[in-house]
Amino acid sequence: MTRRRERGYTMMEIVVVLAVFGVFLFIVVTLTSEMRRNEKKWPVNFFAHPEVGGVLARMRRDIYDSTALPDNFETYNSGPVTLIVYTINDDGTAETVVWDFSKPGEVHRKAFKATLLASEWMARGVPLFLVGLQPMPSGQDAVRVRALDGSRLAIDEIIVPRPHE
Amino acid sequence: MRRSRGFSLAEVLVALAILAIVITTTIAMFAEKAKRMREASETILAYQALSNEAEYWRRESFAQIDNPDNQNFKSDLDILAPLTPYTTTVKVETTRADIRNITLTIRWAQREAHLGIARVDTGGSGLW
Repeated sequence: MTRRRERGYTMMEIVVVLAVFGVFLFIVVTLTSEMRRNEKKWPVNFFAHPEVGGVLARMRRDIYDSTALPDNFETYNSGPVTLIVYTINDDGTAETVVWDFSKPGEVHRKAFKATLLASEWMARGVPLFLVGLQPMPSGQDAVRVRALDGSRLAIDEIIVPRPHE
Repeated sequence: MRRSRGFSLAEVLVALAILAIVITTTIAMFAEKAKRMREASETILAYQALSNEAEYWRRESFAQIDNPDNQNFKSDLDILAPLTPYTTTVKVETTRADIRNITLTIRWAQREAHLGIARVDTGGSGLW
């Protein structure tokens, strides 16, 4: 009896245990890979990133208060990675703000009084932003801001300047 | 002497069953988290599209709001690609002669998101 207890496992016992656990692992791996494949379909939620939120909040304020969206300013030309906004400052004076998205991963906001650089703000670690004018039914031009996660569109926001009297 | 005998098949199977329950519970927890994250992503995408669409409807001329041929989404809906297949509807209700309540809806995978705006006939500016 004692000898029988020390015999270890038979081949059949090991095969049964491994087969049961193997089936279980197969199910787990299949479900997990399916889950991961599904996750990759979705763009990153950039709204959860403070830097991206900061860029959008500043852009909204500049655009809401803008009185014009010039085609060019000094050496800058409006395009998919450059937005020029003629806006109203906190003290009621006007300033020209250039949003420069041309450097990958960086956003620069440069504010000019006349032609002098008055302030510069930048954000790092941000996705690729694209900007453009969007005509609205009222005839007014809005600004369309988009951000891409790879080739997927993650942010698409239309910001319409407020009317000024 | 008894302690040196090793484990029986039943003991090993019971241990594996417990391990399987632990792993299954953990995987289920992560699956639930992934599902909620996906639903949050869907909601964020849907409300970006609804918000953009609302900007168009705020600036549509008041006379055009009642036109049935005009009661569809006008904005670019590229951002809704991950929600495909989806449907969009525009519902216009007249609560008073000079007021229209517009409800924009996106439906996908047995979920839906709504955004409502009110338009008042201000006599021509076309803004509100």
